[in-house]
Amino acid sequence: MEITLPPVDLGAITPELIVTGTALVILLVDLFLPRDRKTPLAYLSLLGLVLAFAASLPLWGRARYAFKESISLDPFSLFFSSLFLLIAALTILISTNYLEREEIHRGEYYALLLFATLGMMLLAKGMDLVVLFLGLETLSISLYTLAGFMRARLRSNESALKYLLLGAFASGFLLYGIAFLYGATGTTNLKKVAVFLGKGAPLSDPFLFIGAGLLIVGFGFKVATVPFHMWAPDVYEGAPTSVTAFMIAGTKAAAFSAFLRIFLYSLAPLKPNWSAVLWVLAVLTMTLGNVVAIAQQNIKRMLAYSSIAHAGYILVAVVAGGELGGSSILFYLLAYALMNLGAFAVVILLGQKGEENLNLPDYAGVGYRHPLPALAMAIFMFSLAGIPPTAGFMGKFYVFSAAVKAGYIGLAIIGVLNSVVSVFFYLRVTVMMYMREPRAEVGPIYTSPALAAALVIAVWGTLQLGLFPGRLLELALRSIRPLLG
Amino acid sequence: MSIELPVFYFLAAITIGAALIVVLGRNIVHCAFSLVLAFFGVAGLYVLLDAEFLAAVQVLIYVGGITILLLFAIMLTSRASGPGVRILNEQLGLSALIAGGLFFLLIYALWKGIPALAIKVPTQANVPTIGRVLMTSYVLPFEVASVLLLAALVGALILARKEKD
Amino acid sequence: MAADYAYVGLFLLVGILFVVFTIEVLSRLLRPSRPNPEKLSTYECGERPIGGSWIQFHVRYYLYALVYIVFAVETVFLFPWAVAFHRLGFFAFIEMMIFIAILLVGLAYAWKKGALEWV
Repeated sequence: MEITLPPVDLGAITPELIVTGTALVILLVDLFLPRDRKTPLAYLSLLGLVLAFAASLPLWGRARYAFKESISLDPFSLFFSSLFLLIAALTILISTNYLEREEIHRGEYYALLLFATLGMMLLAKGMDLVVLFLGLETLSISLYTLAGFMRARLRSNESALKYLLLGAFASGFLLYGIAFLYGATGTTNLKKVAVFLGKGAPLSDPFLFIGAGLLIVGFGFKVATVPFHMWAPDVYEGAPTSVTAFMIAGTKAAAFSAFLRIFLYSLAPLKPNWSAVLWVLAVLTMTLGNVVAIAQQNIKRMLAYSSIAHAGYILVAVVAGGELGGSSILFYLLAYALMNLGAFAVVILLGQKGEENLNLPDYAGVGYRHPLPALAMAIFMFSLAGIPPTAGFMGKFYVFSAAVKAGYIGLAIIGVLNSVVSVFFYLRVTVMMYMREPRAEVGPIYTSPALAAALVIAVWGTLQLGLFPGRLLELALRSIRPLLG
Repeated sequence: MSIELPVFYFLAAITIGAALIVVLGRNIVHCAFSLVLAFFGVAGLYVLLDAEFLAAVQVLIYVGGITILLLFAIMLTSRASGPGVRILNEQLGLSALIAGGLFFLLIYALWKGIPALAIKVPTQANVPTIGRVLMTSYVLPFEVASVLLLAALVGALILARKEKD
Repeated sequence: MAADYAYVGLFLLVGILFVVFTIEVLSRLLRPSRPNPEKLSTYECGERPIGGSWIQFHVRYYLYALVYIVFAVETVFLFPWAVAFHRLGFFAFIEMMIFIAILLVGLAYAWKKGALEWV
């Protein structure tokens, strides 16, 4: 009788343990808090996120695997973990105000947000397809619930239902893809898959192609690439605004982190095949996202289509691949998260109870009445459009120059043309704010220190990355290297 | 081995037939019951593959839980239980094309065979093996599964419960 | 191994055939056929049935089913652990306790929120 000691290395998952523990505590404390006193939970979850970040810092030192190689502690996963913690923290900062205004007095909100964060961290760290899938499901299930949090509002219900149905469908595709990959390689461990394919296994195995194809479909749903984007505008529009911000910034980054690990690392020998598919997806995604965004009058819907377009830009970098392409993705995802969370913070700030002021004409004259939020919004819009000196510009610059250097000049040209188109609808918001007469009778706006802090962080980050991108790019390069071997 | 083939065809026929009724049936309650049969067929296929634990799970969770939940959901909606639910919409052509394409792709892959698959088929009872692997190699996914279940429970209660306050 | 299940299959088959044979064939041959409205009505333990059976159920059933499924899945994980327990030792015990503790939080949550009450 042998006793097998399990390969438990708790040190490797301290950040995840802290996030989970905080979520559990919140869930329990919430039961005993009075209905209208849920704000302490926000600070508790912030504390948890900060502690988790602190606990992740010592892990940077030495890359290693843990739990029988089912998770990887390399700069890549740590970069993404930190990004997710930042996104979650900013989301909580912009949530408190919004939840109070909309009278959502439910502590579960923070617990679910932390569960979702845990899922995202596992997506970045997972070296085993089983871990990746569980991470994705933890993230998705929390988000289905968060999307439907405003139960009294029809749109929110529609959002949750659509997200649940299509998300479950996408998970099915993903699982099917994992099964085929397992069938083709005999393992769910991504390192073993990479070794298996690297040592001259027959790359013409149809199982391999179908597996990779289904994975592209599954992840395509999750990051909303055309033609798997249909759910995105309705879901993003209907969900509570703070949740939309979290989904747009967080889910995309998390899904891309797993996608990159699978495709750039494990399936690298198949790159000629999948990059051709992604080339087409990138062009479709950029073009449709930007063109349809022009027609949008609702700001949440516009940002939803814009997020589709940005998924397209990131795909350009995936196609380009290599150190430059890979590092530009990491840079882009951080810049993208900052500017989107910032833009949504302004959207929340300008909304009122019962009247969220989401339509474009509602922004007329905001520049005179609320100069500071308007200035912040203008910066975020410039950044989303890719105008210097902002993070968005540097991100696009790195992505397109990576594409050019990898020889995808056509793709880069299409991307730049798309960026030009996108300037129109991003700047329309700015024009509205500064060059139109204000609409009559608009009430005062309610701000909170938390929301203001989130805005300051987002503005600072957007400008900082735009003006001094060097250090982050270096970090991104260092982070992508373990994947490229 | 010779007996396995007819049994397989029998189970496959039950599964596919029942699944077709699920999709094409006009009475949604009949569809739900047909789903039970389809799940049973799949459980039988698992047994045939020596995956007895999976078969038990299939019966316990899917037959015992999911379909009951489905039936409750049908009963919850006031008018859906009436017969004559519309089962086709205007996207029929497109979805048939995509589903058919995927189907032929899968058939093609199976036709070409599974060259790389070299997984040892367990010869003994596999429940203890699953238990051991869950507690050692897959202990992290195992614990994450409980968090996932918790999130699902919280989510289900939030979305399904009437707010009392 | 699958052969062992042949017996299960056999029992299933015989069981189904037995019921079908006795009710549909044997009783049809033996019984007298004298239908009347009383006999043809739905059997409700002797009560007169009121209305149709397809009514809108209360949402509480649904909640119970939801909670049931979550804990059924937990049980599914308990089973292989219990079977392999004597070979796994103390560590597996702790792992399972963590698993259960996390779900106990869920139980506490459901309890406090009143999801277990028949209101």
